Amino acid sequence: MVKKLLRSESLAALVALLAVVILFTAIDNRFVSLLNIEGVIVSASISAVVGLGMTFVVAMRSLDLSVGSAMGFAAIMTGTLLSAGLPLPVVVVAGVLSAAALGLANGLLIVLLRLPSFVATLASYSVIFGCNLLITHGATVTIRSSTLNDLVVGRVFGILPAAAFTAGLGFVVMFVVFHQTPFGRHVAAIGGEIRAAIGAGVNIPLVTISVFVISGALAGVSGIMTAGMLQNADSTVGQGAELMSIAVVVVGGTSLMGGRGNLPGTVLAAFLLASIKSGLNVSNVPSLYEGLIFGGILIVALMIDGARRGGRRKGMLVV
Amino acid sequence: MLVQAREPVTAERKQSQPVDRGATLRVEGLRKAFGAVEVLHGIDIELLSGEVHALLGENGAGKSTIINIVSGRLAPDAGRIEMGGKEVQFAGPLAAKKAGISIIAQELELVPTLSIIENIFLGVEPTRFGFIRWRDASAKVTAVLHELGVSAEPTQLTGSLAVADQQLVEIVKAIIGDYRLLIMDEPTSALNLEETQRLFRVVRRLKSEGVAILYVSHRLWEIFDIADRVTVLRDGNVVQRSRIPETDSQTVIKSMLGPKSSLISGRPNGLGRGQSEASRPVLQVQRLSSLPHLRDIDLTVAAGEVVGLAGVLGSGRTELCEAIYGLRRVAPCTRIELNGRPAKLDEPKAALREGVFLLPEDRKQEGIFPHLGLRENMILAKARVASGPDRPHQSLLRRFLLATGLGLVRAGEELEIFESYRSALDIKCSGAHSRITQLSGGNQQKVLFARAGYVNPDLMVLSEPTRGVDIGAKEEIYTAIDNLAARGTGIIVSSSEITELLRLCERIYVLRHGQIVAEVASADSSEEAILQIIAA
Repeated sequence: MVKKLLRSESLAALVALLAVVILFTAIDNRFVSLLNIEGVIVSASISAVVGLGMTFVVAMRSLDLSVGSAMGFAAIMTGTLLSAGLPLPVVVVAGVLSAAALGLANGLLIVLLRLPSFVATLASYSVIFGCNLLITHGATVTIRSSTLNDLVVGRVFGILPAAAFTAGLGFVVMFVVFHQTPFGRHVAAIGGEIRAAIGAGVNIPLVTISVFVISGALAGVSGIMTAGMLQNADSTVGQGAELMSIAVVVVGGTSLMGGRGNLPGTVLAAFLLASIKSGLNVSNVPSLYEGLIFGGILIVALMIDGARRGGRRKGMLVV
Repeated sequence: MLVQAREPVTAERKQSQPVDRGATLRVEGLRKAFGAVEVLHGIDIELLSGEVHALLGENGAGKSTIINIVSGRLAPDAGRIEMGGKEVQFAGPLAAKKAGISIIAQELELVPTLSIIENIFLGVEPTRFGFIRWRDASAKVTAVLHELGVSAEPTQLTGSLAVADQQLVEIVKAIIGDYRLLIMDEPTSALNLEETQRLFRVVRRLKSEGVAILYVSHRLWEIFDIADRVTVLRDGNVVQRSRIPETDSQTVIKSMLGPKSSLISGRPNGLGRGQSEASRPVLQVQRLSSLPHLRDIDLTVAAGEVVGLAGVLGSGRTELCEAIYGLRRVAPCTRIELNGRPAKLDEPKAALREGVFLLPEDRKQEGIFPHLGLRENMILAKARVASGPDRPHQSLLRRFLLATGLGLVRAGEELEIFESYRSALDIKCSGAHSRITQLSGGNQQKVLFARAGYVNPDLMVLSEPTRGVDIGAKEEIYTAIDNLAARGTGIIVSSSEITELLRLCERIYVLRHGQIVAEVASADSSEEAILQIIAA
């Protein structure tokens, strides 16, 4: 029983999360202050949302490196359209749809030009980031909608920040889609063994494009959430989110080899990494070290993933 | 064991006069060319409902091309395909499936990270309001799994199953659902006798239900056991069409091979045999254990001797081969001596250094490098620098470079080596730069043999050396094995085909449940005798 628990990928993330919380609380009990916890929940929710989409992408044995710039794009769209006086619901829908359109472009690049997702999304990352700079001229757009801010950090029923509900809703929907619909099964099949998926008549182009549209749309949602939280938007929104969301997915137990996705693990890992980030802050570790630490965590997670996969045989049968 | 009420004991008796005699599939004048080479020169085949129709031919005769066309994976250049009297054209595999054609692929096409039931219903998931519902499907899958003797639960991940069970899942995938034509392409290649018999019972049931079955196999006895009619192909032409009762295996083999028929000679008389009594042992294994697969294995192989390993799948044959090559952890009590010296074979690198070479069972996964050319595939292993009687002029520097892997590849030299093996083994290819995946299974295996020959091992371990290889190439591989042995290489052959072991080996070890239960001399044994020991 204990062994099974230890082997369960999501539980590992949960245990690590508890350990991190206890550790940072021991270092400085400001970590468990209400303000700090709310901050952790909001930023964890934001990276969970983009991570949910990335889980689909990784389960399909692909990568989406453009999610960070798509977040920035959605945030900037939100800021610009709100300044132009459009009503908030319209702005939110437009932001999500425009990010979904970026995902559609990614999917088309991959399917029509037969590019590896890594290359296609690396290119589109650069293009989108360039657009973000051009639209804002490098300046910051201020957002004066307190409603949007409330929709992210405002407490619902006086308990949790609204962002947690957005992430929770996203999780439930994505979980059901992944585990209860043919589409989710086809995503895993493409990632697990594409020849089998082709043989079974799975519509590979359609599924591929859909997954990148989902990833783009969810990146859009988290971009808007970021804009709402910061109450401004510029091209730095979403910076580094591509690596962060891949880290969240891998730490959460989804293998980069594809074929399976662990959505609960992704959410837990989002909380884990947000806690570590905030904990380092609270315990006065200079933020300069953040990149180093998160890179290290990612490498450890990849090593665990590799060990889990390669455990069965000692060596490759290659002469 | 689950026996269905409709299990057709009677259908077996009625074999000659089944229920419905409508043509399910009619193929006329099928032509197909790849580049400038036409591989099908106008093929006509007719499959009746409720019949098993065998399609035979050497690799390269055009069987796979026909199957690929009928299953919608390839478009024909010319010709008509009719299903149930109506002409059809398939845009892709899915269209063929919708038209009622189901295929058991020769290659495993399973998603290892999905469960059995998820694989079986991949692409045709049963849904309700858009959500997957397994409830009804699950019982059906369990029943068919039972019928085929798979004890796994439908929810088990396919990646965790043994190869034979995976093959059976592949079969279940094809036989569940609605279809009128079932294509079985080498369905038994990973199955043992018992599993094959179980499969045949299912085939007979499907037959009695009116399904037309196109059956491809290299095992002739299977054809004569299960088929009603046979169509034999050679070089893209139909060369024989017979009802099974009206032909025999000799005739069929002759039409398959054509003028080359002399190749199917029996065992060559005393090639390098008899000398082994005097020769030194290359490999001595004592008390090899690797639980739970192997227990207390003792075995010796002399220089120039070919030793066989017989046993059902799961008896430990494969595991033993892997253990000798350093791919499995062995218990500390194990003693392995190579050429009289104790050897520690704990990884392939060490095994290779000691002169042990393994030809893996799963060629596609573990043997070939699909993206490399033939030359690279052949000359991939490092030549053993020290033991090179045929290449004595290497400078110290070059030896050092070769040993460290820093040396530059000498294309010219490699090409020479390639050409010499190409002619020696009669590898059919367009040149050193062809992709290995363009070759037939038999020719791929010959390339791997050349790799082994180049390495010049003292001990060669062959796991299923002729799986998926046609009769002509089989005989050539046998000759290659004989030649290697004649050069003094000790050889272990693990095979599920007893006749192959009897043909190749002097002694045969029989394994059961990870232990050696008998050692027999081929000369005083027969297929039946060995089968009896295996099954005891």
